[in-house]
Amino acid sequence: MSQFRTFILALIASFGLPWLCLIVIPAVKYQALTQIAYDKDRDGVEGLYPPAPINRQGQLVYAREGCVQCHTQMIRPTQLALDGWRKGWGQDQEGRPAAAIRSNNLRDYLGEPFAFLGVQRNGPDLTNYGWRAPERSKIHQMLFAPRSLHDWSNMPSFAHLYTERLAQGQPADKALKLPKKFAVKEGYEVIPTPEAEALVDYLLSLKKDYPVPGESAAVAAAPAAAAKK
Amino acid sequence: MQTTPASTDTLADNLRRAAIDKSVKGPVLFLFLNGAFWLMASTILGVLAAIKQFAPDFLGACSVLQYGRLQPTHLNALVYGWGVQAGLGAMLWIMARRSGQELRTGKSVLYVAAIFWNIAVTIGLVAILLGKSTSMQWLEMPSFIWPVLLISFLAFAWPMVFMFGRAFRPEGFMVSTWYIIGACFWFPWIFVTANVALHCLPGLGALGAGINAWYVHTMILLFFAPVAIGAAYYFIPKITGQPIASSQLSQIGFWLLAVLGGWTGMQHYMGGPLPAWMPAIGAATGVLLLIPVGVVGLNHHLTTLGKHSMVASSPTLRFVFFGALFYPVSGAILALISNFSTGAALQFTQAWYGFQIVAVYGFFSMTIFGAIYYIVPRLTGCEWLSVRLIRNHFWFSVYGIGAIVVTSLVAGAQQGGDLNSPEMWDQDFMQLALNLRPYIIARAIAWGLITWSNVWFLIHLMLMVAGLGRRSSAPTLLEHDHEEALPHAAHA
Repeated sequence: MSQFRTFILALIASFGLPWLCLIVIPAVKYQALTQIAYDKDRDGVEGLYPPAPINRQGQLVYAREGCVQCHTQMIRPTQLALDGWRKGWGQDQEGRPAAAIRSNNLRDYLGEPFAFLGVQRNGPDLTNYGWRAPERSKIHQMLFAPRSLHDWSNMPSFAHLYTERLAQGQPADKALKLPKKFAVKEGYEVIPTPEAEALVDYLLSLKKDYPVPGESAAVAAAPAAAAKK
Repeated sequence: MQTTPASTDTLADNLRRAAIDKSVKGPVLFLFLNGAFWLMASTILGVLAAIKQFAPDFLGACSVLQYGRLQPTHLNALVYGWGVQAGLGAMLWIMARRSGQELRTGKSVLYVAAIFWNIAVTIGLVAILLGKSTSMQWLEMPSFIWPVLLISFLAFAWPMVFMFGRAFRPEGFMVSTWYIIGACFWFPWIFVTANVALHCLPGLGALGAGINAWYVHTMILLFFAPVAIGAAYYFIPKITGQPIASSQLSQIGFWLLAVLGGWTGMQHYMGGPLPAWMPAIGAATGVLLLIPVGVVGLNHHLTTLGKHSMVASSPTLRFVFFGALFYPVSGAILALISNFSTGAALQFTQAWYGFQIVAVYGFFSMTIFGAIYYIVPRLTGCEWLSVRLIRNHFWFSVYGIGAIVVTSLVAGAQQGGDLNSPEMWDQDFMQLALNLRPYIIARAIAWGLITWSNVWFLIHLMLMVAGLGRRSSAPTLLEHDHEEALPHAAHA
C-alpha cells in the first residue's frame, strides 16, 4: 500500500507545484494590486493610473456576442511583433506614429472581472479603440450593417441589438443613417437598444495606453501626446 | 502486457472477462452513444462556423447563428459533449478490464451522472447560442453548469479509483491504468481551479485570461492526452500481441508529462500583460514536452514494429495507430506555437484552432474511435456491420483532420505574416480578411467531409447498441485474408 501512497503523492507533488506557482500565489498577489498615482514632477501628468474603469454592462454584451473570437485586446512589445506600429492602434492616429504604442501590463486591465485578451485576430485589435473610434452613429452603423462601410468585411451583423420601428414624424436623433442599399423599409427607422448603446460605450472606453508612472518611455511619450492636442 | 496463453484456464478467463464487460456495459454504451451524437453536432456546427467566418450573411442576421456564438458552441460540444464523455466511457472499460475488477455497486449512480452530464451540456450549449456565453475559452458555458459537470465526472472517477486501488500491486506495472488514474485525478483539480478562479473569486483581470489559457492547455495535456495514451498503451499490445517495448520508456513518458504538463498555457498570451516569467515558463515547457511526446511515440513505434500489416486489417489498431501518430504531431505543433520565435508569428491566428483540433480530434478522438471499435462488440455481443462504413469513417476523418490542421497552420503563417508586414501597417484589415478567406473555405469543406463520416459512425453505433450487429464469432476486419495473422488474444 505504501507504493500506492507514493504514486499518489508523486502525482500531487508534480502537479501541485505548477498549480501553486502559476495559479494560487499570483491570484493571491493580484488581490493587492491597486491604482497608483502619477507624480506630477516625474510623469508630467496628474491623476490615477489606470484612470477610467471600463463599462461593465457593455463588456457583458461584448462577451456574450463572442467578439473575442476575432478581436484581441492586447498590444505586444516590439521585440515580439509589430502591433505597436500599426496605424491607429494607439493614441497617435498618424500613419507612421512617432513612437511605438507601449505593450500592455497587468494593471491596464485592473477592475475588469476578466480581461478579454482574445482568441484570434481576424479583425483589428481593440485595445485602444477609444482613440480611433469615429462618432457613435458610425459605430452603430458598423455593428448593424458592417458591409455598408466595407464591402470586404467579414464581421457579423449585430442587427439583433437594434429595433426596427415605424418612424413617426421627424426621424429620431438616435435613428441610424444607412446607405440606400442597406436601408430598411420606407417609413421605418432603426433604433439602437440599450444593449447596443452599452456596447458602444464600452468600445469608446477602450484606452489602455495611458503612460505608466515612472517609466521613461511613458515620460517621453506623454508630453508629445499632450503637445499634439 | 502478457496475455494468458491458451490453456484450460482460457474458458474461465473468458467468463471472467465477460462478467467484467457485463458489469460496465450500460454506462459505457450510454456514454459512447451520446458522445457520438455530440460529435456529429459539433462537426455540423464546425461547418456552419467556418461558413459564417467567410460569409457572415449566410443564413441571415439571426443572432443565434453568428460566428461569435457558433464557434464556442462548436468547440464546447467537441470538448464536453464528445471528448470528456467518450473518454470516460473508454476509461471505465479499460480500467475495469486492466485491473480485472467488476463494477460492483453504483451502476445506477453512473446512469444518473451520465444523464446529468448530458443535460448540463445541452443547457450549457443552448445558453451559449442564446447569448449567455462568458467568452472564456472552453468555459463559455454559464457558471451554474460547472458544478454539475464536476459531480458527474467524480461519480465516474470514484469507482475507477477503487478498481485501481484494489488491483494495485507494488511489483506490477500498468502504464495504461496509470495514465487513466492520472486523468481521473487531474481533471477535477484543473476544472475546479479554473472555475473557482474565474467564476468565484473577485475579478482577476488579465491574470484570469492567463488562467483560462492554462486551463485549455492542461485540459489537453493532462486529460485528453493521458486518456488517449492510456488507451493506446492498452490496445496496441493487445492487438499486436507484443508486450510494450520498454517499460522504462513508458515510465519516463508518464512522469515527464506529469511534471511538465502543469506549467504550460500562459505562453498563449506571450508579450501580453502577464508577468514575463509566466509565458516564458509556459514556452519552455511547451518545447520540453517534445521529450515525453517523443518517448511515448518511440515506445509505440517499437511496440508495433514488424506488425504494421495489422494496421491494414484491424480497425481498432488502424485508428489507434493513427491516433498515436498524431500525438507527436500535436506535440510538434504545440512546440511551434509555444516558443517565442515562431509562436509570436502564429499567436492569435488560425494556428491555435489547428492545435486544438489536432489534439482533441486528430490525436484523442482517433484513438478513442479505435477503442470504441474494440469495446462495443464486446459489450453488445454482435460485430460491426459494415467494413465499408469503418473504412469510410477512417479515411474521411484522416483526410478531413489533415486538411484542417494543414490549412490552419498555413493560414496562421499567412495571418502572422500579414499582421507584421510593413506594407500593411498603415492600412485597414482588407488584405488580411481577403487573404484568410480561401483557408476558411477549405476548412468548411473539410468539416463537411468529417460530418459525412460521423453521421454514418453514429448510425453504425446506434445499430450496434440496438443489438442489430452481425451475429458472428469472427470480428469485422478490414482485410479478411489477413485474418489468420491476428493472435487469438486480439479477439478476447
